Amino acid sequence: MKLFDYLEPGTIGEATQLLYDCGEKPRILAGGIHLIPRMRKGEIEAEYVIDIQKIPGLDRIVTEGKGGVTFGAMARLRSIESSRIIQSKYPVLYEAIHQITSVQTKYMGTAVGNLCVGTPASDVATSLFALGARLKITGTRGERIEPIEKFYADYHLTSLKRGEMVTGVVLPDSPPGMGTAFLNLVRTHADIAKISVAVAIVVEDGICRDVRVAIGAAAPTVFRAAKAESLLNGEMITSQAVNKAAETASAETRPITDLRSTAEYRREMAKVLVKRALEKALARAGCRG
Amino acid sequence: MVQEFSVVGKRAPRWGARDIATGTAKYVVDIELPGMLVGKVLTSPHPHARIIGIDKSGAEKLPGVEAVLTFEDIPPKLFTPNRHDLILYHPENECKDMQVISDKARFVGDRIAAVAAVDTVTAQKALELIEVKYEVLPPVFDPLEAVKPGAPRVHDFAPNNIALHLKFPGSRGDVEKGFQDADCVIEETFRTSKQLVSQLEPCACIASFGPDGRLTIWSPGQSAFLQRRKLAEIFDMPEGMIRWITPHVGGSFGKFGSLSIEPVCAALAKKTGKPVKIEYSREEDSSRTETRQKYVATGKIGVKKDGAITALQEKLVVDGGAYFSRNSTTTMANMGSFTGLYRCPNVAAEADCVYTNILTTGGIRGYGNSEAMCVLEQLIDRAAREIGMDPVQLRLRNIKRAGDPDSKGLRMETCTLEEIIRLGAEKVGWAEKRARKKGEGAKRYGIGMAIMMDLSGAHPSCIQHRNAYIKFNEDGSANLIVTAYDMGQNLCGTCAQIAAEVLGIRYEDIHIVTGDTDITMFDTGIGASAGLYQVGHAVMNAALEAKKQLLDRAGKKLGVAADELEVRDRRIYLKSDPRRGISVAEVTKQATYNFEGEHLNISGKGSFSPTQSPPPFAAVFAEVEVDIETAEVKILRILYVSDSGRVINPATVEGQVEGGIAQSVGYCLTEDCVINKETGILESDNFTTYKIPSTLDIPEMEVILYEAPVPSGPFGAKGVGHGTTIAVNPAIANAIYDAVGVFVTDMPATPEKILEALRRPSGTSSGIVS
Amino acid sequence: MKKEIATFKINDRPYEVIVTSDMTLYELLRNLHLTGTKRSCGVGECGSCTVLVDGNPTLACSTLAIAVRDKEILTIEGLSRGAQLHPLQQAFVDGGAIQCGFCTPGMILMAKALLDENPTPTREEVKEGLGGNLCRCTGYVKIIDAVMASVEKMRRGDS
Repeated sequence: MKLFDYLEPGTIGEATQLLYDCGEKPRILAGGIHLIPRMRKGEIEAEYVIDIQKIPGLDRIVTEGKGGVTFGAMARLRSIESSRIIQSKYPVLYEAIHQITSVQTKYMGTAVGNLCVGTPASDVATSLFALGARLKITGTRGERIEPIEKFYADYHLTSLKRGEMVTGVVLPDSPPGMGTAFLNLVRTHADIAKISVAVAIVVEDGICRDVRVAIGAAAPTVFRAAKAESLLNGEMITSQAVNKAAETASAETRPITDLRSTAEYRREMAKVLVKRALEKALARAGCRG
Repeated sequence: MVQEFSVVGKRAPRWGARDIATGTAKYVVDIELPGMLVGKVLTSPHPHARIIGIDKSGAEKLPGVEAVLTFEDIPPKLFTPNRHDLILYHPENECKDMQVISDKARFVGDRIAAVAAVDTVTAQKALELIEVKYEVLPPVFDPLEAVKPGAPRVHDFAPNNIALHLKFPGSRGDVEKGFQDADCVIEETFRTSKQLVSQLEPCACIASFGPDGRLTIWSPGQSAFLQRRKLAEIFDMPEGMIRWITPHVGGSFGKFGSLSIEPVCAALAKKTGKPVKIEYSREEDSSRTETRQKYVATGKIGVKKDGAITALQEKLVVDGGAYFSRNSTTTMANMGSFTGLYRCPNVAAEADCVYTNILTTGGIRGYGNSEAMCVLEQLIDRAAREIGMDPVQLRLRNIKRAGDPDSKGLRMETCTLEEIIRLGAEKVGWAEKRARKKGEGAKRYGIGMAIMMDLSGAHPSCIQHRNAYIKFNEDGSANLIVTAYDMGQNLCGTCAQIAAEVLGIRYEDIHIVTGDTDITMFDTGIGASAGLYQVGHAVMNAALEAKKQLLDRAGKKLGVAADELEVRDRRIYLKSDPRRGISVAEVTKQATYNFEGEHLNISGKGSFSPTQSPPPFAAVFAEVEVDIETAEVKILRILYVSDSGRVINPATVEGQVEGGIAQSVGYCLTEDCVINKETGILESDNFTTYKIPSTLDIPEMEVILYEAPVPSGPFGAKGVGHGTTIAVNPAIANAIYDAVGVFVTDMPATPEKILEALRRPSGTSSGIVS
Repeated sequence: MKKEIATFKINDRPYEVIVTSDMTLYELLRNLHLTGTKRSCGVGECGSCTVLVDGNPTLACSTLAIAVRDKEILTIEGLSRGAQLHPLQQAFVDGGAIQCGFCTPGMILMAKALLDENPTPTREEVKEGLGGNLCRCTGYVKIIDAVMASVEKMRRGDS
């Protein structure tokens, strides 16, 4: 590692100002689980490392008045996983975190840090897409809220501008009767997903009122299979509809072949996982397709 | 099991366990010496290139750099990193093709230069300042391409990249006739996986020349005396001027049976006159040290309708990588195992050992037998299906029996294959489970099995020579001084159990002194499950001699003949009247401080060279569930029935089996090197990209230790650790075959490949010749 | 900061050291000759470098030393009390859970963190809890057995 300036701001304002002032190569240090190994290997170069662990309140998981939940940039994966409110109201997020095999990673790592890496293989991001999460982004000029679907511009490229950092994640209140599911495929349990799928669906009287189908590791960014969703939205949920949606979702993927899997397999499995995730989510929503 | 022993058969704690559990055990990387320099190796970024020139002046000028070496600084001696050339009866197949620092780049990771500097940062900077001019040459990565005319030549002396053609000398009968006589012939070509050893301790070495010119090496090498002789030959030194120290070792699995960075580390130490430590990162270890042996293996089997195997033939293309290392002995072991497991009158095997521009293959746990069984045991199941016979029955029809020659041609003292197959089949509920419906919906159930016979040391192909020395302390405890290379298989502890049993004292009374060639006696090194059978025997012989002295001395004290005495639980007593006796401690103290006559430090020396190599046996049963939509394989359960002779320490033997199963699960389903087909760069060079099984990837395991003591073994013990990676892989593959009727020829059997196989039109599972 | 003198509390002992911004906790421990913590991969995947920081399992290879200067750090060397082994250490020794031993310090500390949080885990919970600790030798069976054995011992109050 090249010697860098280690900074410890005491407030968000200080942190964003430092981010702005430090030019090209400031990096935020939260858990460090992604940053530190890559800096050691020379894959990431930073002249300034801004450690946000001393900023009070960033680790909180807060229930909002309107029924949603917000958690801050220092909320560790483990505390989110252990949170009763997350387990009961946002089981898809719980499932995505729970299947991360390394407990150390969960104690050290933060959900926001995970999101900011910008990899399409983030199981956390995939589940947050399905939940319609929004990100609190704070910069030197103030705060903005951005739907997570808009956060990823491209592979490893977020919408953060100079001086900005993600300070929290806002989860909307889950409508009653919403069913969710998270599924992925891996080489070994501790591996990054070959493909991941997270689904949230609301059904009333057999008709789909709202659905989100998020797919990870099958395109340059996590994405929602919009065409598949439009086939289901407002329609009667039947097994043919589910199958068709799954097929359509598969066609929306743009997977690659890499050392974990092949493009063909990922594309095929998108169909299998979307179908299975929808069926699971529907069962949890209390209805059969 | 009759409880006749006090110490043998007990779950004694692994030698050194306390040190390890408290963090005080020292591995190479933990050792600090005053004035020690940091060594680093510059390797080739190209898979194949000539070196036109090297300018090291920039590196040499950097403050804090004390040595920069290239091939020009070292006598151009060729050697083989493998130590078999020193002990094989027929070493003519060994190939000396390696240099301390290469004068030509033959794979990405080949050593091109080395530096020693005051710290890591300086050493790294120095590497970056070395300017190497390469003439990049076209590489060849596939062994089948490498043998074609016009292929890039990896070594000048091998024009078609064939280092060696091996015809298996045990070939017999007439395989062509055998195949003609068969009712069913199956031929299939497999590509086995290039598994990365992934021992947890990355390769490291320390070298230091003392002011007297003696070289001290700290290394995880498996054969200290042989490996120091190799260094002696490379550096033109007598062996006695080299001291080789073996600290705790964080896993080897056969990898460090080859020299790795000791020669280059010693060269840096020689140049600087200071201790030098080279510590590889995980990435460097993965991309520069030996991998599992790798084959394009074509196996052919002929069987009659009644199940008799009429012919077995194997043709191998050995994907040896850039240097030859252990390609001949692993290949011979492969061919011997393939042709030698079953009774069959007509067998033949041959192999081409081929060079390619990739990371060198070594001799890893299983040593060719694992790869042979991957092929043979799958062919057996294919044949069984074709002739409509149960795979267990087909095996029972053809297995060898006691008195038959094993796969090395040695007459077997015992053979429990039938017993362990039957025992395992019953325990697992084979008949009922095979008859089960495979399943509905997305999941299919399957059960498969495989067997193996392995070895207890590499007799009769090489000399093996073991020594041990025991000396009693005044208090009745004893020091066991022995070269007993322990990479986690608890060879030291089990040897101590043998010694304690013979001497009639407790396990805790044995203090082990090991890991230093200045102190322990000569030993040819560990591998091929030689340890317990051979070193254990030397220890037993040493203990018997010490016991003789002890009983002689006690006899004089008690006024009886020594042969009237026995010793147990630290007490020597009259066999005819056990109440009459004397403690071991009294005898040893009085012999040492003898005011009445002749002094004696009671001790014993023992040697052993084997005349046999009794094979351990295993029958493995695997149950799987295959998801036919995702082609994922979930291993439900593995039952492993092991005959390793007398079990000196059940925890040790179980641990070896459980560990072997875990490695085999990875080998079968997920692990393979990912080498970029354009650049030759190893992309899977760390645990992010190369995944070894975690706790959640291991199936439920049941291990049955079937104890069948073998007359020639110490207390009847045989080896075990080597063989535990042999039968599990094909058992899992056969279970998949049972579940969904497909098999993968390009290992590992990943879901992507299983799905592809599932998509092939049924009935064209290729390779059925007739 | 780029370089400063900082105080660390490791195994209940204060250490005053010169630390650079880029020094990892693993490197700090090595500088202090605390060699019990092992590094097998350096990228946070193997768990061998697991130590406890304020009781939380932490990968020393992926942690900046300066970031933990105010915290209580426990390494494997701090677990035993003189000759008295922690029940987990004793269980590993007695249960055949140690082969080459390179994973053992990280494995024991991770197990300690698990048991501190949940003193009566199921076998499945232990398996999950050790998911970030790789072992190449044992197949994990006796490691999980050892943790379950020490659960039992600690529950009974045996030291």
